[in-house]
Amino acid sequence: MNLERLPNEEKLSLCRKYYLVILVLMPLIFSGGFAFLPFLWLVNVVWFFKEAFLKPAYTEQLLIKTYVKRSALGLLLWVAVLTTWNIIFQHFRAQWGEVGDNLSFTIPLGIP
Amino acid sequence: MLAAVGFNPRCCFFLFLFFKFKLFTMDFGLVTICPNVKPFFLCRSFSAFLLFILAGVSCNSVGKKIYVDLNNTVPCVRLLNATHQIGCQSSLSGNVGVLHVLESEENLDWVLDSGPNPPYMVILETPLFTRSIMMKLKNGSSRVAGVAFVVPNSNPAGGFSPHTSCPNENSGVYTEGYDPTLANCKNTVWNPLGSGLSYEDFDFPIFSLKDDNDTEVIRQCYIVHNRPVNGSTPRYPLCAMQLFSHMSAVTNTPTCMRRNDINFSISPEYVCDPLGDSNVWGSSRPLNNTAKGHKMWESVVIAAARLDSRSFFSNVAPGTESAVSGFVTLLAAAHALRNATQEAQPNRTILYAFFQGEAFDYIGSSRMVYDMEKNQFPLDMDNIHSVLEIGQVGLRSDSKLWLHTDPVSRRNATVNKELIENLQLVARELNISGEEPNLSQPLPPSSFQRFLLNRPIPGVVLEDHRSEFYESMFDNREYLNITYPPELTPEEQLEYVTDTAKALTEVATMVGRALYKQAGGEDSQLKNINADSQIVTQMLYSFLVQSNNSWLQQIISPDSIGHLNDRPLNLYVGVYQQASEPTALVHHLLANLTGSVLNITQENCNNQREDEEDKESKHMYYYIWSQGAAPPNSTERRGFCVRSTSRVFRALSPAFEEHNYTNKAYSTWTESRWKSIRGRIFLVASHELEMLTLGVGIGVLLTSLLLTYFISSKADILFSSAREPTNATY
Repeated sequence: MNLERLPNEEKLSLCRKYYLVILVLMPLIFSGGFAFLPFLWLVNVVWFFKEAFLKPAYTEQLLIKTYVKRSALGLLLWVAVLTTWNIIFQHFRAQWGEVGDNLSFTIPLGIP
Repeated sequence: MLAAVGFNPRCCFFLFLFFKFKLFTMDFGLVTICPNVKPFFLCRSFSAFLLFILAGVSCNSVGKKIYVDLNNTVPCVRLLNATHQIGCQSSLSGNVGVLHVLESEENLDWVLDSGPNPPYMVILETPLFTRSIMMKLKNGSSRVAGVAFVVPNSNPAGGFSPHTSCPNENSGVYTEGYDPTLANCKNTVWNPLGSGLSYEDFDFPIFSLKDDNDTEVIRQCYIVHNRPVNGSTPRYPLCAMQLFSHMSAVTNTPTCMRRNDINFSISPEYVCDPLGDSNVWGSSRPLNNTAKGHKMWESVVIAAARLDSRSFFSNVAPGTESAVSGFVTLLAAAHALRNATQEAQPNRTILYAFFQGEAFDYIGSSRMVYDMEKNQFPLDMDNIHSVLEIGQVGLRSDSKLWLHTDPVSRRNATVNKELIENLQLVARELNISGEEPNLSQPLPPSSFQRFLLNRPIPGVVLEDHRSEFYESMFDNREYLNITYPPELTPEEQLEYVTDTAKALTEVATMVGRALYKQAGGEDSQLKNINADSQIVTQMLYSFLVQSNNSWLQQIISPDSIGHLNDRPLNLYVGVYQQASEPTALVHHLLANLTGSVLNITQENCNNQREDEEDKESKHMYYYIWSQGAAPPNSTERRGFCVRSTSRVFRALSPAFEEHNYTNKAYSTWTESRWKSIRGRIFLVASHELEMLTLGVGIGVLLTSLLLTYFISSKADILFSSAREPTNATY
């Protein structure tokens, strides 16, 4: 889809959808293991960055800006949480023993 | 092609720039392999490489030019128990190190401290394979890539045992609770030479190399490239070795068995397997094998021997004195008893038991006791009258044999009285002096301990315990003094009765008579029980020289023919899923030496019946179709059916039956799985040269990219004049 050809209202609704879908599906992320769903926020940020900050001003731009900012913030938070968990998991997996093995998808061969 | 491209130095230079540094090492490799390639070796190898690409030849040929693969290598592999891992492992991509032939213990300094090119691959010979050196290497492992051990052609003087000084310390009967003064080998250290190396965990690979052409190549490579002359540091290229033995399992058995069960991935990855195999047993009178548990009115004398041994390296465990001498004696005794027990049946049944996996905390015997307790064996513990175990009997000083008994049982003097008296009596007749050790001496490591652990039953372990080469690769026929005159053919060697065979025959006769007497047989029959020295010598030849001989070929069944080998037997028990080498042979031998030949068809024989209607015999007997010999004027073998009581049953530790891997009562040994085990040598260039080559390569790549970009962006200017005439014609 070419963003350039879209009317401004539709741009706004698209950006809004991308921003909100994560918040709506938050329960899924925690319960169902959709840990990479916030990746959509990244898509949102990259895709609408030009629209939000570089294009000449238009009415819907203000809201798009807010959504892009919030998406970026959410993305950062998500990256921070994921990185923290990853470090904790990699560091303590061997110590956790059975729990660590059960949390692993592939268990590396030949190391504890 | 070679003429056009190969010998042009300029073309070589351009080609040279495009190849990665790995190829660079190839050129030096080529020099060693073909020493007469002198001036333009770079060009030759590169043009050769070009030719390979053009001709579509696989890259393996390039690999062959770089590397010399090592044959005849035996690795040390990782084993695990309830709490520990032992053995060796390399990294996933193999450990690479610059070769260093260790000449003395002082020379270690070069490896661990002063040498300029770590990590080192240390080449060791026997006198230096000691605990102190190996532990120093283990502790300095950041500078040690691995160890290659050159196996000498004759046994080291003074003994060598990598086993612990107190074998099966925690799984025998002598615990603090049984008798505090006897626990942990306090009174008698059974293996005083034991260095315990087999039970250490090394984080680098250790391989053994047979002393042959390969090791000569390695030595030459070391002398030419690596040896420091007059204190100067050796210069690149250096000779290096790469060893692959990456192990999948880690930490301990509970961890690896758990990981075997967790499998999310599409292709399940198993990491370890329990050690174990099959025990072999037979009886002098047929026992109903289908009805398990206690047998009324049945009383058995168990005659036991162990089938397995081990060594530091996984696949060389000849176990000549520690296992073969014992089970060959028992087989010969069973053979000697065949006629006597058929003609004048004694009151009690004699049960021959051959236990597997005894080196690893008594796997086989603990399983038999477990099965008897759980009513999964045709007999139970109450059926046992007494136990006679035959241990190491191959080497005897002054024709002496020790009648080992348990000192705790001996406090009640009458327990072993009958068995001891019977043994003494028959020993005297044969001029063997059977001596009793003093009261403070516990039983040597033996399967009988696992029976005692269950309940106090009378039992004797017949043995003259030796520990010069206990559980090592040198426990071979040279140690047992079995040599053949050099002019004999294999066929003549098979029949040649050595002194060792004569001595073992004597012991077998003694064991046979003692068993007969212990089973309540008539004294008048004793004179007729005589072991056959011919059978003993054939068995020794089969187990210690080669099992693939004309005698065993006749005895073995057609589907077990794969168990015959052209080398001495390896008695390492191995993983449960794979048959260990001696089991099938001993099973067939016991059947042939104690059974009788029937005139029935191969089909009936294989279906465990004597005729089409017969449904009962299979409960009492086991039928084996033997290949037989070919008549003189024919090539086709004439097989025959042997009916015997020789059977096999599982020798898997009960810990794996109960899935309880932390219980100390049973063996929990597992062996790690691996993907590839191999070794190779090659020449390495210096790190700087490798990086320079890589850097130049990347530089050329970038330059060419820039050049292409520049040319294509200015294409209309550069190529305009050439196009106009063609355009004009249309």
